[in-house]
Amino acid sequence: MTIADSVAEYSDQDVPVPLWRQRLKVFRANKLAIASCIYIIVLAAACFLVPHLHPTNQTNQAIAFNTPQNETPSSAHWLGTDSNGFDELGRIFFGGEYSLTLGFLAGFITIVVGTIYGMIAGFVGGVVDAVMMRLLDAFLSIPYIFLLITLITVFGRSTVFLICIIGFTGWWGNSRIIRGDALLIRNLDYAKASTSMGASKMHVIKSHVFPNSISNIVTVATFSVADAILFLSALGFLGLGIQPPQTDWGTMLQSGAAQIQNGFWWEVWPLAVIFILVVVAINYIGDALRDAFEVRLLER
Amino acid sequence: MFSYILRRLGQSVVVLLIVIVITFSLPYFQPHGILAPAYAVLGARSTPYNVHVWAFQHGLLESYWTRLYQYIFQLVFHFNLGYSYKQELSVRSIIALYVPRTVWLALSALILTVIIAVPLGIFQASRRNTAVDYAATGTAFVLYAIPTFLLCLLAIEFFGFHSFHLPISPPEGIAPWAIFTDPKSFILPVGCLTLLSVAGISRFMRGTVLEVLVQDYVRTARAKGCSPLRVLWRHSLRNALGPIVTILGLSIPALFGGALIVEYVFNYSGLGLQTLNAALSFDVPIVLGITILVSIFTLLGNLAADVALGLIDPRLRIQGSSK
Repeated sequence: MTIADSVAEYSDQDVPVPLWRQRLKVFRANKLAIASCIYIIVLAAACFLVPHLHPTNQTNQAIAFNTPQNETPSSAHWLGTDSNGFDELGRIFFGGEYSLTLGFLAGFITIVVGTIYGMIAGFVGGVVDAVMMRLLDAFLSIPYIFLLITLITVFGRSTVFLICIIGFTGWWGNSRIIRGDALLIRNLDYAKASTSMGASKMHVIKSHVFPNSISNIVTVATFSVADAILFLSALGFLGLGIQPPQTDWGTMLQSGAAQIQNGFWWEVWPLAVIFILVVVAINYIGDALRDAFEVRLLER
Repeated sequence: MFSYILRRLGQSVVVLLIVIVITFSLPYFQPHGILAPAYAVLGARSTPYNVHVWAFQHGLLESYWTRLYQYIFQLVFHFNLGYSYKQELSVRSIIALYVPRTVWLALSALILTVIIAVPLGIFQASRRNTAVDYAATGTAFVLYAIPTFLLCLLAIEFFGFHSFHLPISPPEGIAPWAIFTDPKSFILPVGCLTLLSVAGISRFMRGTVLEVLVQDYVRTARAKGCSPLRVLWRHSLRNALGPIVTILGLSIPALFGGALIVEYVFNYSGLGLQTLNAALSFDVPIVLGITILVSIFTLLGNLAADVALGLIDPRLRIQGSSK
């Protein structure tokens, strides 16, 4: 064995495993989280593809009038039909398209706005921070569902507006957490050293504060998607969600639950299980992500 | 301690002012802007002239700042939150009818939550990673994921119709003491509201107690021969109470939000149901008035939590007075 070979072998052992791969390893060790990921991906794929690949009538009341209503599951309708005669299984996917899209988009807006606001407040500090945080306190003291109802009353209902309202009102809690992170990291030695060497504020945020608070941002992002889906379903239940002929899971659960007493279990139970599992799965993924970003759990 | 409370009180007043300005400004953005009530009341007679006269008579043509000043003045000195043109009642009189009803509902759920969630969290923390702990955590996860309305509807189905045959709705009417005169009919609504907050708070309690249990002073207590029960109750619980009081204060908005859904499902007319009915009929003054009121409750709750924190934790008291 030549010296060069042994050096190569030695340095190969010493090369640290990239951070993202270590994190992926921790994440993959959590079997429940992997199962949750698969569940969400499969369900999302089904919701976006099935209504187009195997279209069932979900919007035309006139045609639905000719199909039997509240029919028990059969080979023609795998999960029966609902009280309007729409195919229940097809409707779950049809409504899921809206629920998932709105949930993810609103969650995304939430995290982007929350991160920017929290970063600015935490990093600038001083009077700006105090003013921004008092504003947040004011928002947070208005019960969320009351605020959503107020905004929908004032601004009216449409799908785009629904996304915007949930997105632009859901970030307050997130932004608090991220502001706390920014405040902490700003005062750590490496950030101070960078500033003292003449780095601009933008540079410190970009290369120190943001990468180090990414763990909280990602975790909070997953939880806010789950929350957005939940709030959307509550609005759907109150009749303030997606308007007919479109539908979403909240609206469907509401109309389905009205039929439990008639024994039409297929109109509520399958959807209820799918819905609850979605929220549980997203929360599990959030927990696993938090573990993956926890430095103490990494093997080096 | 006193200066600490005073400072928090000042902060709350500022926050409340911001809430009032926000809610006051919202109607300017609705269709027809601030003139919307004129169009709503006049209906088919809403010619530009009539709208102008009506708006003038009701002071809608004043400038934004004049109206804001009047609104705050009326709110602070007369607790006047405006007038609902749909119901032809002042918002204050509507609120006065329904406040006690919602407060009793929310308060009883809050008390039950504390009674159940705190011992449950401690129990789970002391039996960490046993079957009981997993079962409780799993239940909390599902309860957290289930939408409020679905939980209520399923509770009605199972405990109202299927078994137990509990009353599925509190008595109608607006008696503020209904919860005491007919407690049986409140089992389901209060129970649902309680379960929802127990899910979050017991999980939080478990985490807090777990954190406290690994502290040095707990090890010291164990080392000097304290019984496990005494370690848990005297050394751990007292230190875990601080975070739990804070989170209880912060959970008040969610409690009112949950109460809104519960009131709607169980047809119990309180603030939430009034808000919803007003929202569905575009009765903006009621929605805004109740929103401000509930925010006041939230701020008071947070303030009470902070004061309680000062009383529980002697360290905070000393810090507060030295500042």
